[in-house]
Amino acid sequence: MFVLKFLIRRLFQGAIIVFLVSALIFTLLRVVPGDPVRLMAGGMAPEALIEQIAEEMGLRDPIPVQFARYMGGVVQGDLGQSFVRPANGASVGGASFDDSTRGERAKVLGLIAETAPMTIQLALLAMVFALVIAIPIGVAGGLAPGRWPDRMALYLSSIFVSLPNFWLGIVLALLLSVKLQLLPAIGYQNFSYTILPAFVLAIEMAPFIIRTLTVSVAGVMAQSFIDIARVRGLSRNRIVFHHGMKNAAVPLLNLLGVQFSMLLGGVLVVEFIFDYPGLGLLTINAVMQRDFPLIQGIAIVTAAAFVLINIVVDLAATTIDPRLDY
Amino acid sequence: MTAIDIAIPPAPGAGEARTVASRIWRMAFSSIEFRIGLVVFVLLFLAAALYPELSGIDPTKMNIRGKLMPPLFMGEGWSWAHPLGTDQLGRDMLSRTLVGLRYSLLIGVTTTVLMLAVGALIGMLSGYYGKRVDMVLMRLTDAQLAIPMIILAITILGVSRPTIPAIILVLGLAGWPVYARVMRSTVMSERKKEYVRGAMVLGATDMRIMFTLLLPLVLPPMAFVAVLDIARMMIFESVLGFIGLGVQPPTPTFGNIIADGRKYIMNAWWIATMPGVFLFLTLTSINLMGASLERARNAVYGGA
Amino acid sequence: MMNRRRFLNYAAVAGAIGAAPRLNPDFLFSPAMAQGTKPIVFLSAENITGNWDCTAHTTLSQSTIQGFVMGYLARAPMTPENPGELVMELATEITELSATQLQIKLREGVTFHDGKPFTAEDVKATFEYGSQPDRPAQNYPGATDTFEVTTPDDYTVIVDTSKGGYGASLFIFLAAYLPIMSAKDIAEGPGGILTQRLNGTGPFKFVEQRGNDTVMEAFPGYFKGAPTVPGVTFSFVGDATTRMLSLMGGQADIIERLEPEQVETLQGEANIKLNTAVSVENKYLWFRCSKPPFDNPLIRKAACHAIDRELIMEVMGTAGHASNNFVSPIKFGYVDLENYPKYDPEECQRLLAEAGFPGGEGLPELEYITSTGFYPKTKEYGEVITAMLQEQGFPVTLSVMEVAAWNERLYDRPGGGPGHMVDCGWSTGSPEPDLVLRTHFHSSSKRICGIEDPEIDAALDEERNATSLDARQTSLQTNLMPLLADKVPALSLFTSVMIHGMRADLDGLFIYPDGLTDASMATMG
Repeated sequence: MFVLKFLIRRLFQGAIIVFLVSALIFTLLRVVPGDPVRLMAGGMAPEALIEQIAEEMGLRDPIPVQFARYMGGVVQGDLGQSFVRPANGASVGGASFDDSTRGERAKVLGLIAETAPMTIQLALLAMVFALVIAIPIGVAGGLAPGRWPDRMALYLSSIFVSLPNFWLGIVLALLLSVKLQLLPAIGYQNFSYTILPAFVLAIEMAPFIIRTLTVSVAGVMAQSFIDIARVRGLSRNRIVFHHGMKNAAVPLLNLLGVQFSMLLGGVLVVEFIFDYPGLGLLTINAVMQRDFPLIQGIAIVTAAAFVLINIVVDLAATTIDPRLDY
Repeated sequence: MTAIDIAIPPAPGAGEARTVASRIWRMAFSSIEFRIGLVVFVLLFLAAALYPELSGIDPTKMNIRGKLMPPLFMGEGWSWAHPLGTDQLGRDMLSRTLVGLRYSLLIGVTTTVLMLAVGALIGMLSGYYGKRVDMVLMRLTDAQLAIPMIILAITILGVSRPTIPAIILVLGLAGWPVYARVMRSTVMSERKKEYVRGAMVLGATDMRIMFTLLLPLVLPPMAFVAVLDIARMMIFESVLGFIGLGVQPPTPTFGNIIADGRKYIMNAWWIATMPGVFLFLTLTSINLMGASLERARNAVYGGA
Repeated sequence: MMNRRRFLNYAAVAGAIGAAPRLNPDFLFSPAMAQGTKPIVFLSAENITGNWDCTAHTTLSQSTIQGFVMGYLARAPMTPENPGELVMELATEITELSATQLQIKLREGVTFHDGKPFTAEDVKATFEYGSQPDRPAQNYPGATDTFEVTTPDDYTVIVDTSKGGYGASLFIFLAAYLPIMSAKDIAEGPGGILTQRLNGTGPFKFVEQRGNDTVMEAFPGYFKGAPTVPGVTFSFVGDATTRMLSLMGGQADIIERLEPEQVETLQGEANIKLNTAVSVENKYLWFRCSKPPFDNPLIRKAACHAIDRELIMEVMGTAGHASNNFVSPIKFGYVDLENYPKYDPEECQRLLAEAGFPGGEGLPELEYITSTGFYPKTKEYGEVITAMLQEQGFPVTLSVMEVAAWNERLYDRPGGGPGHMVDCGWSTGSPEPDLVLRTHFHSSSKRICGIEDPEIDAALDEERNATSLDARQTSLQTNLMPLLADKVPALSLFTSVMIHGMRADLDGLFIYPDGLTDASMATMG
């Protein structure tokens, strides 16, 4: 029952947030210089025709009206059509303004649906790598606060967080892929192409996990119930893993929700460098090609995903620790 | 995401504020990580501030015939005049890297200050006035947090021309919610305390209470942790530069130089690597300092 | 996750990767495919338009795709030994019956990919459709009403240009450039099936467009015999580094537009070979001549004198070939023009002052648009040109854009089009100079620069109407070209050297000087 109330409340708030985000992005794209109709009609179109197309497309209506129409479409699952990519997905440019095929553009939702699974695959693998790297370091640091594992954790996390991901990606691609030929780097032929990009992402995420873990593990271990457990004669392992970890996990869970936002930034650059055909590469290309509907659609979808992930994370946290109140 | 949300400090009483801040500072300073970080940072800062002018080498001066020269000792054709080599148009890499460092530091610090200021202000108003003001501002904060920073940044910068003020604005505005949250919770708990009530009874205006009484109390602990955000903003700026949405050429920034250098990675690896090394060193030094401050702060609050 | 069909498709294309010994855990990699059944993967540097009608675009990458799929009356290898040679393909004989009548005899037994037999009506339809003035690709010496095409029988075509006032010989060089489309397709008009898929008589047939990949399969009914490779996959990859890494990693078989540094890197690789050729393409700095300030020829000339083309050649290295004319040295009529603008800062300042902008004062902000990831070094020499112009007082800002965004801004529009200067190359696979000069500098066409100048029009008409090849050459070299060098609607910076990189075991490819490739006799492995 509580879960239901929680869900309803959070989903409602989430919907408002997504709505606000859409409104913001939508307005931004309409008020900045650069007429989207120009891009649609492109090529050698005369002014009069531009105006006519704009009228027909409803782009000269007041912004709230346009937005209402757009949101109406969104609710039905129609995120509009790309300006740049035709229905078969290629990038276009250079055709004449009266080119009839300009009407058949790829559906934004379709483009996103195609590339999102790739990014999810990358993100999950990166998460796994990050946890594998960060948990040993972070826990060791937390269990021995002030001594060398802790300092090690500090140094390592500082180093990891200072490595710019795009730089690391370039250097690793050069070393591991070209020089040593250990792992493939460019594009996507099979699963192994995910490894290198995921590793670069993992390095980016690891420091935050390490820091969170050292603080929370140290914090939990310092609490009295741990001392009592020792007095009760429980083995060290049981203390650490069963009691300590469970409690330390909550802030970590919270962090994972925020990591998603960070991950998004990293994914953009990493996919670009490795030419990995995911949502990040799609976004970068959309921005470079000034493909407004696509940028808009991606912003809305990622905002919605972010909201959902946070809801899930909070739900999970409440389950683990009933004392929390969200 | 910093450790702020994990350990929201029990704010001290009025008189202890200054000593708490200095305790944090002293504890951090005593650790060796902090000192290493500080020394490296100061060296890099001085280099960035002074070298390009002092050396007389113009970072935008092209010398096509002298292009792609390697750094000292690392290949044929190196020269003392270009210790880090030259790039694809013959420009000196050391000057360019240091000018790039200038812009990174400039944008990093300004953005963080902006974030801190805006966040503190909103948090202060929210915590102090409560009720409706609070609700509105907090919903705003939540909405802001929901937009992935990078999407917002590339949307705004991608459709208009990226200028330095625009970049600072976009980056700064995207990161203030965290500070707002902390400020808000601290102010809310402080508000109930005796000394604030006392001031109110004495007739102090809201403004006076907020800015002369509460602000000096709460800001310093937050500011320490903001140091880490400087590093984060510097990375963000260089990522934007890398995808072409940062400060535009011909101004050299880390993002620009590394993006250009990527094409030459096989023949002139130094173009992409050197700026990365400098960025890495600067960030590490900042992060070491910031992490030490954070530890010290947690220790002071946790233990005291 | 990734769906099975897509996975299998990638596995099919990536056959060789499984066979490479350096890659390890088998379960992660696709199974090796038998040698000889793998299509050639060609990485292209430019995006396509999405409209497959051959007359609806001027995009080089799409022309390259047409080179695989379409048939041409003849082909022009343009070798240094024999630059004017025409190799017959769909035509068997081209003869001038008179100054204004050209007879083309066609090959029998050729079919289109959709099964329709190739006959004279296809040539007639192609010529009449392509010469219409609203077609974006303006390649013909005159509009449809300036010539007449008759077909005395199914395999003979007569082109009569007496109405147009120019010689029929102009269609000879054109024959090597125009893809022949099916009359049945053309009958459906510019909105019909022409836009949705390519249908030609070439060695490979168009299968589909998948994302950025154009998939083509060998056409067993090709009149010269079935191709020796199963197909060609032509993929747009907009970044030079990515293309090179793909080639080195074995994911691509051939890439184009190599940069000089990449040449250095790849020369050391044993399993990669290079093909270098001075091409028919020139790189130009196009001025937007229909809006201020570059509507004033004095200012255009001033800008040209501010640019030191030798410095640009230093930037280009092996990827550029110095030339002093508006067409490539391998085009008919080329000569090193004496009055071609040289680097002369004093003259630049004098002209600026004469135009009323001494030292560049008073000039509006000028935008110079260039692409990146397509032609080699555009960003680098773009920065150099910007610096040189700024040195003379021109307030220029450089806008470097991704290929598709640049392609969108490239062409002239009523009012002038975006920016004030645009960088672009023009590559046409035939010795015919009008494919550059008329297409760009005649007021009826002016694809990029937007120039409308009656003197230039008159000079273009004069050389077109010349009665003999010699007369034409003289007119070009003494009238039109010097006039263009004086008015400079665009400045040709250099001639491109096209460098392709490919697997060492890829043999039998013939690459024309415009970049089009004949893969019908290619073998791999």
